[in-house]
Amino acid sequence: MATQDVEATAPAVRIDSEPEEPRPERARRQRYLLWRIAGYVLFIGAWAFISSLTEPYILPSPVAVLRKMVEVVGRDDFWVNIFATLRHLAIGFTLAFVIGSAIGIAMGRSAYWDAFFRDYVMLTLTTPGLVFALVCVMIFGLLDIGPIVAIVLTSFAHVTVNVVEGVRAIPRELMDMATAYGVPRSTRIRNIVLPAVAPFLFTAIRYGFAIAWKITALTELFGQTDGVGIQIRVEFLFFDIAGVLAWAFFLVGFALVMERLVLQRLERRFFRWRPKAFA
Amino acid sequence: MATVSVQNLRKVFPGEGRDVVALEDVSFEASGHTFVSIVGPSGCGKSTLLNILAGVETPTEGTADITKDGSRARVGYVFQAPRLLPWRSVMDNMLFVQAEQTDQVRERASRYLAMVGLSEQHKAWPAQLSGGMQQRVGIARAFSIEPDALLMDEPFSHLDAITARGLRRELHSMWMETKKTVLFVTHDVGEAVELSDRIVILEKGGKLRKDLSLDLPFPRDPADDKVALTKAEVLREFEELDLIAT
Amino acid sequence: MDTTASSGSVVRSGRSWFQRTFVTPRAARITAPVLFLVAWQLRLMDRFLGLLFPGRTESALLPTPAEVVEAMWEQLLDGRLLEAFSVSLLRLALGFALALLVGSIVGLAMGLSSRIEAMLHDFVIVGLTFPYLIWGLLVAMWFGYGTIGPVLVVFIAGLPYVILNMSEGVHDVSKELRDMAAAYEIPRDRVMRHLILPSLSPFFFASLRYGLANGWKGLILAEVFAATSGAGWHITSMRDYGDFAGVVGFAIYFALFSIVVERLVFGRLSRRVFRWRPATGRDVSEPPEVAAP
Ligand SMILES: Nc1ncnc2c1ncn2[C@@H]1O[C@H](COP(=O)(O)OP(=O)(O)OP(=O)(O)O)[C@@H](O)[C@H]1O
Ligand SMILES: [Mg+2]
Repeated sequence: MATQDVEATAPAVRIDSEPEEPRPERARRQRYLLWRIAGYVLFIGAWAFISSLTEPYILPSPVAVLRKMVEVVGRDDFWVNIFATLRHLAIGFTLAFVIGSAIGIAMGRSAYWDAFFRDYVMLTLTTPGLVFALVCVMIFGLLDIGPIVAIVLTSFAHVTVNVVEGVRAIPRELMDMATAYGVPRSTRIRNIVLPAVAPFLFTAIRYGFAIAWKITALTELFGQTDGVGIQIRVEFLFFDIAGVLAWAFFLVGFALVMERLVLQRLERRFFRWRPKAFA
Repeated sequence: MATVSVQNLRKVFPGEGRDVVALEDVSFEASGHTFVSIVGPSGCGKSTLLNILAGVETPTEGTADITKDGSRARVGYVFQAPRLLPWRSVMDNMLFVQAEQTDQVRERASRYLAMVGLSEQHKAWPAQLSGGMQQRVGIARAFSIEPDALLMDEPFSHLDAITARGLRRELHSMWMETKKTVLFVTHDVGEAVELSDRIVILEKGGKLRKDLSLDLPFPRDPADDKVALTKAEVLREFEELDLIAT
Repeated sequence: MDTTASSGSVVRSGRSWFQRTFVTPRAARITAPVLFLVAWQLRLMDRFLGLLFPGRTESALLPTPAEVVEAMWEQLLDGRLLEAFSVSLLRLALGFALALLVGSIVGLAMGLSSRIEAMLHDFVIVGLTFPYLIWGLLVAMWFGYGTIGPVLVVFIAGLPYVILNMSEGVHDVSKELRDMAAAYEIPRDRVMRHLILPSLSPFFFASLRYGLANGWKGLILAEVFAATSGAGWHITSMRDYGDFAGVVGFAIYFALFSIVVERLVFGRLSRRVFRWRPATGRDVSEPPEVAAP
């Protein structure tokens, strides 16, 4: 409800192209940054303090985890496993994106396909990834496609729901306008359909990807193919908490970098036409 | 020279339960350098008529088309709302509807933007323009394809009186200059009398009520006796419509 | 103006009897699972894989629909199903109640104070990103098998969703109303009770929905490593014993459970799925405003 209200009361548009940042705004930002840093300091301090109270293998100190991360990167098979995971992820997510978009387009345009796929989509959105991981590992054994199929099955639905919304958001009145002027189909797709659907595609990528890399690690762990998942399992079996945490930070770091540096930057370039209303 | 030809046109929108008849047996013709206003109460099918002529909707029965020398004419359409692509700059919006993208076409687009007084804004996003400026881009866009005929759907109804008056004058002089066939939908009888040499009145249910020719010289001053008389006549026609409707 | 009959029949006359019966949205809801079952029974996937990977030997493992139905029937009769799900649901309730309590407090605090927001925001985002797999392994190492580990993972999995929704909810209370309250110097507790809490309810509902859904996913994973009971443990142990019909049967129970919860509790699937969207993505994840005529 709230999001719609925001849209309904379309905010006043600033005409000036590059608004000067007012001074109190800058001061506010600096204060915000200060407290943000304080948060990190507090967190790392608390972690170090608690770990000093316990046995080092129960909660290794931040420094120990950092040292472990350096050690892990130095291993012979580190890059082999990273690339195996990236390969699963790249193939699986590309497939999920293509299949999910195709289904989403069909669902957005036809009531029949909407009804046909609706239950599948809903199921894969709500069923725990473990279930898919297990069934895929069972069907495919140690084959490389186990993780890939699991990725497709779990993340296509996140792409689909967003693409469906995007297709339904294609502005009919602009398409009619293009018809009236006899604008050819390819021009129409490039200039109306894609820009209208783009924000939904970004959301689709964002959510699909967030699920995809997690399920990749999970299936690798159960399926014992090469990859990050199997490395985490080894650390677990050796009861090396620092090792598990080290891999976790690699994964989370990778995900955040993809989200912040790659996706957000692309988005900003894509959406320059938007009024800077939600400053 | 373009010819607008509407023959026994009928349009029915299938609705849930009962259908809506938007147009019922409408016929008229217009060709050459003429300015036809279409007036009538809200919901009488004016926009539907233009949409069918523009090829956006299909007729249920009958025909409606705009031809030039036997083949389909180039038609510019100014919609009730500006209908600009929000993610394209003003200039790119102009170029979007062009059949080809040569330098000559670009130059032509700039010229029409200048004509509506927006040459400085050619790089702006639509969201950075006021409502009236957006509508002017819509008008420039319609002219810039150098159409044989022009469809306009209440292009000035969302604007303030002063801007609307300025644009009306501009439209009139552009029409005089380019000698196009114009179909102009409006609610405003004064506007219709000021601009047109013919007024087609539709009534509720989409029937053609009256087809008046206006034989008055331009420019028309609303204070002029003849102009005021004609306006009063059309208004009387409207009041009768109201009596029928209620 | 009686046009109903004519145009109605015009639209339909183009469709044959077959199309009118089977090519309708209602029929599609049934066609979809039936096609799935047929494909499964014919082992289409298996044959396809056989073509792709000639050396593949695992095909014999895949159970037939009949075997799976039998396994499901057994699970239902001998009480394993009920036991597994009731244990898990209890853990879910426990962990999520905790997440709701802590998350509401933290979320409100973040919404009301920009300092607390600055301190915690990044950690909430990392919390959203952190895989449940890792949490499952960690609690297994810390607490061994038992109840604490899985309950803790439910808590951790649900927490960021509750926090984000509640703080978004506070942000959402219109600035004008809050300024009005400030202008009249209305006391804090009354502002809280009459202004902020009432407008939070849709966000509270969203917290419940996404917090529970993710708590459930986290729980199932945690039970694999850190429990000897519950639905997650159950399905993995069947796999370890090579009871593949049991695994697939249980997976179907998971799916049925999702459908029931989704249909009965939360209503139809909608774009509100992504309601909790954190503030970081807000500006870009909103659909574009297009001027409507
Ligand atoms: N796409 C559509 N589907 C169903 N009904 C429609 C559609 N478009 C128009 N109508 C109906 O057809 C009738 C005529 O609509 P139209 O838009 O042509 O009216 P109008 O004369 O332009 O009115 P206004 O002056 O208010 O713009 C109305 O009753 C309207 O409800
Ligand atoms: Mg209209």
